[in-house]
Amino acid sequence: MAFESFSEFLAMGTHGPYVWSVYGITGVFLVGMVLQTLSAKKKQLKRLHSILVKDVSEREK
Amino acid sequence: MNWTWFHKFGSPKWFFQWADKWGKLIFYIGIALFLVGLVLGLGFAPEDYQQGNSVRIIYIHVPAAMLAQSCYLALGVAGIVFMVWQMKMAPIFMKAMAPIGAVMAFLALMSGAIWGKPTWGTWWVWDARLTSVLILFLMYLGIVAIQNSFDDTKLADKAAAIIAIIGLINLPIIKYSVEWWNSLHQPATFVIGEKPSMPSEMWVPLLFSVLGFYCIVTALVCWRMQTELLIRERRASWVKKEVTKHGV
Amino acid sequence: MTYLSFLKSELLAVFYRKQDTINALAFFLIVITLFPLGVNPSADFLEPAAGGIVWCAASLAILLSVESLFKEDFNDGSLEQLIASGLYLPITILIKLVIQWCAVIVPLLLLIPLFSQMLFLPWSIVHVLIFTLLLGSPALFLVGTIGAALTVSLKRGAVLVLLIILPFYLPVIIFATGAISAAQAGQDYSGQLAILGAISLLSLALSPGMSAVSIKASMN
Repeated sequence: MAFESFSEFLAMGTHGPYVWSVYGITGVFLVGMVLQTLSAKKKQLKRLHSILVKDVSEREK
Repeated sequence: MNWTWFHKFGSPKWFFQWADKWGKLIFYIGIALFLVGLVLGLGFAPEDYQQGNSVRIIYIHVPAAMLAQSCYLALGVAGIVFMVWQMKMAPIFMKAMAPIGAVMAFLALMSGAIWGKPTWGTWWVWDARLTSVLILFLMYLGIVAIQNSFDDTKLADKAAAIIAIIGLINLPIIKYSVEWWNSLHQPATFVIGEKPSMPSEMWVPLLFSVLGFYCIVTALVCWRMQTELLIRERRASWVKKEVTKHGV
Repeated sequence: MTYLSFLKSELLAVFYRKQDTINALAFFLIVITLFPLGVNPSADFLEPAAGGIVWCAASLAILLSVESLFKEDFNDGSLEQLIASGLYLPITILIKLVIQWCAVIVPLLLLIPLFSQMLFLPWSIVHVLIFTLLLGSPALFLVGTIGAALTVSLKRGAVLVLLIILPFYLPVIIFATGAISAAQAGQDYSGQLAILGAISLLSLALSPGMSAVSIKASMN
């Protein structure tokens, strides 16, 4: 362990704000990228599914 | 050498199913590696005698910078594959990869700038590394712009491939020229992220975090390629089968 | 159509479009004027910065003039004729490019002594600036052509061309201004000139073929 206590860990010497802001911004971007990727895939699947359902019901008519 | 695996990746249907099977696994492995790297790097790695605890930014900065470079390399190679063999999957790969590479370059720039404040005393220094990542970021923006500027997908694919190939040829020239330019204007006192001898407590977490980043990006690219495939091949019968299989 | 008749018609076209050359030079002059007004008009600033200012202005002016290289031919259909004519496309592109280079760079070089005095560049350095322009500008033209060929079918492609091509201009600008500042410091600058020439030759080897592929992709 490089730190004695949790508050020391948060403070990172005097560099806490720098280290944590980098990790925070990176986290936001990574999560955002994952969410955007997954939602885009889901949206496209949903769209194709609704088209497919429409096609099938039209054929049955 | 057996090239069947290569041809398999050229088949949209085969790739879609492969990505369905392996995407999640790669993603979770990546997250696990990344978290291990973070815990080791934030909690256990020793602080630097010069830079103090700000050195812990390395576990973001170096993987992001490495990914930014490898992604561009991959874009260029995919561009060549597309122009030479007309492989259908190559532009799909490029379309999925380019925005992610841009984000990686941005993360490398952001972490470098924030790291610069405690180390150099300013948010930005025209240091050779930061400058070449900045140029790389601009090149990504160009590729993303060209991918989104054409209504005709075929033309957009070709244009992006040609620009990526030129970029690939230019990358070493730009890197060399920026390093030379940097040595003219300011003799480097000490360079961010580069240590003559890094103790193993530092490079082991770095290795974990780099591998984690690679896996996460691989999984993301697989998923984005699936989306792109669903858009481009929407009339193919295998897509219809996949859509019914996935349900909603 | 033969190469000779193509050359003749292109020369005539450049002659009739004198305004394009004048525009490029005027643009160059405006960019140069921005620096003394926007930053500092004193010789202390301008003398060391002159090489960089001239090169920034030149690369923007060159890229903007190259950007429209195929536009008119595309709009009036003569580009399609050219592809169908059976002439080897990379060579015709090269012919077009050489003519464009002569139309923009030759007058620019003639005016460089004047411009360099506006930026307080010493007379003993002016010939270095001219050498860098002679050796470096072909690369800028050649690389820019690829961008122009790719975006020929776009209505508003100018900003896109600037965005995708300018990063590739950076090495040329770095070595050109490096040569000029080396000359100002009284050092040997032949290495930088050699690199500029090498970049231009590399572009000459790759650009016409790539531009031809790009044009063919844009046409259908």
